[in-house]
Amino acid sequence: MGKTLDRELKKGSAELLILALLEEKARHGYEIGKLIDERSEGVVRFHVASLYPLLYRLERRGWVKGDWEPAGGRRRRFYRLTASGRKTLASQRARWREFSGAMNRIVEVRRA
Amino acid sequence: MLDWKKVVREKVGSLPLKGGRHEDVIDELAQQLESSYEEAVANGASESEAKRRSLAQFSDWEKLRSEVFRSVEGTPLPIWEQNGIFSPRRLPVWIALAVALAFLALPSFRKALQILPFPGRKDAWDTTAFSAEALQGVERTGDKQKYARTLAYVALHNPDDHQAVLAAEKAIALDPQLTWICAQVSHATYLEPGHNPKPWIDRLKAWDPDNAYVYLLEADANVYTEWETRWAKYNAATGELRRALAAESHWRIPMERTFSAPHVDTYVERHFLLDRDVLMERGLDRPDMLGLAVSSAQLPNFFALGTYADHLRLDVGEGEERTGHGENALAAYRSVASFGQKLQGGSSTPIEHIFAAKFQEDAYKKMIPLLRREGRDLETCVVESALAAVGTENPDKHGLFKARLQSPAFRSGQMVFIWGLILVVFTITAALWLICVALLRAKPDLSRPMNWLASYLGCAPALLSLSCLALLSSFFPYSRSIAEYSLGGQLYETYGSFFAGVSSLRLDPILDVWIDHMFWPLIWCAVILIFGAICLRYARWRRHTDPSGAE
Repeated sequence: MGKTLDRELKKGSAELLILALLEEKARHGYEIGKLIDERSEGVVRFHVASLYPLLYRLERRGWVKGDWEPAGGRRRRFYRLTASGRKTLASQRARWREFSGAMNRIVEVRRA
Repeated sequence: MLDWKKVVREKVGSLPLKGGRHEDVIDELAQQLESSYEEAVANGASESEAKRRSLAQFSDWEKLRSEVFRSVEGTPLPIWEQNGIFSPRRLPVWIALAVALAFLALPSFRKALQILPFPGRKDAWDTTAFSAEALQGVERTGDKQKYARTLAYVALHNPDDHQAVLAAEKAIALDPQLTWICAQVSHATYLEPGHNPKPWIDRLKAWDPDNAYVYLLEADANVYTEWETRWAKYNAATGELRRALAAESHWRIPMERTFSAPHVDTYVERHFLLDRDVLMERGLDRPDMLGLAVSSAQLPNFFALGTYADHLRLDVGEGEERTGHGENALAAYRSVASFGQKLQGGSSTPIEHIFAAKFQEDAYKKMIPLLRREGRDLETCVVESALAAVGTENPDKHGLFKARLQSPAFRSGQMVFIWGLILVVFTITAALWLICVALLRAKPDLSRPMNWLASYLGCAPALLSLSCLALLSSFFPYSRSIAEYSLGGQLYETYGSFFAGVSSLRLDPILDVWIDHMFWPLIWCAVILIFGAICLRYARWRRHTDPSGAE
């Protein structure tokens, strides 16, 4: 049970991280990897070897769409959220808030 | 300047993605590497260090390759495109399969497979080895003894009694030393309408007139037709049947001769040697077949022997004691004890030993008080020591049978069965893998489920060869030629517990119950399961492809 929850959380949170980063604007894979590292201040490390398969999976599901565009003197594949991806993000974010809120209520109860 | 695309292309190799996605993936991964490289150089790393750091991001290219394909196409990489250790493109898989097949060349391994109690296993009667054509082949060799022996085997083991009788006639005509098979054939004819066992017994009497077993067969044959009509009405427990049978001269006279004959030979050892030689000659060096063949040997009618022994002890002996004829009573008891000794001397099976011991024990227990009463102390001492010796002869007196069931051989038999079962599972799995791999080689996009199956069953050849090795290792101590045995008892000592272990875990009872009671419920459960799986799959597909993005 514990392992299943852990796996689902990891899988779900990885998707959530990418979808959340693409909400602001279209980004390429390298940028996504760097942003996760920077914004989490090195706490969340995303293995690059897992990033691209995950991006392709999200694309196959129709949640993101990748297009080649020029950037910094070279062609980059930029990913942007689709309408379906936006709804999925909203749903996953709500679930995450619910979950993290519940966790906080349990973990922080002594302080209250 | 490094050509990162070339690097990635070399590392990834072929990736059969549809719609030109292959080049997209190469480009994108190359840019990831290039950007990392440039960043490392900008941070002061040397070119070689920057290259090392960049490439370290993708340590397992094969895993990346298969994950990229699975993510893009939603299915495992085509089996013939995979490069993993269990991929059909890799030599070790085929070596494992070849090793598994090479085990078949080992006689010990073949023997281990043959003894497993799975459907199709041959018992003592092998229709191919003893077919009419096979017998003609033996006849053509010109070896009369060998042909006679083979015919005798047919007479002893053919389930068709008519064929058995014809073979017996021929065998005895060719080699009169095989006349002992009449003992078995006379019994075989009991159930064959129109056949009479008496001519066979007469023939045996003429050939072996001093053998008690022949007269026992005669006594049996004289009353067997009347069991339902005449003898079934008597109560065996109260001695009614014993007295009724003793009053019947057709039974009593041959039984008297049985107990007074000079020796007892139930032909079990001859039977063993014949079976062993013929099986060897037919290329069936199989201890399990020999064991089954020997176990089909005709045993003496212990009920008749016990009934007549009781008659001598309880009716004749005690009757004489009551009338004061002690010497006559002793003669009756001695007759029983003496028959017990002869049976013990001429027998080789545990059951014969048990009865031989019982006859002696019962007779000695009657003799001792009588001799004591008559003051014959020296004779009493002799009989008492004979009684003490009998106790050690009873093979089951010390729970030997139970001990055998707990012996290492019994456990070895169970291990051989378990490894055999595992081997069957892996053989089926490997065959399935091989079929999928062959079909997908001919037509790579034949079926996604087939590709999925082949991808997950890739380890089957390796597991098959390992289970072959495990089966061979567990059976090897028992892989002996039947030529090494000259007595049935020796074979029993080596293989009795082992084969009991092999048979102890048979799945037949469980399967029978399942087939009788659980077959249709199982089918319904499978239908519901498949339907449920399809519905779930459809729901998942709808969720991922729904343009509204509903979760």
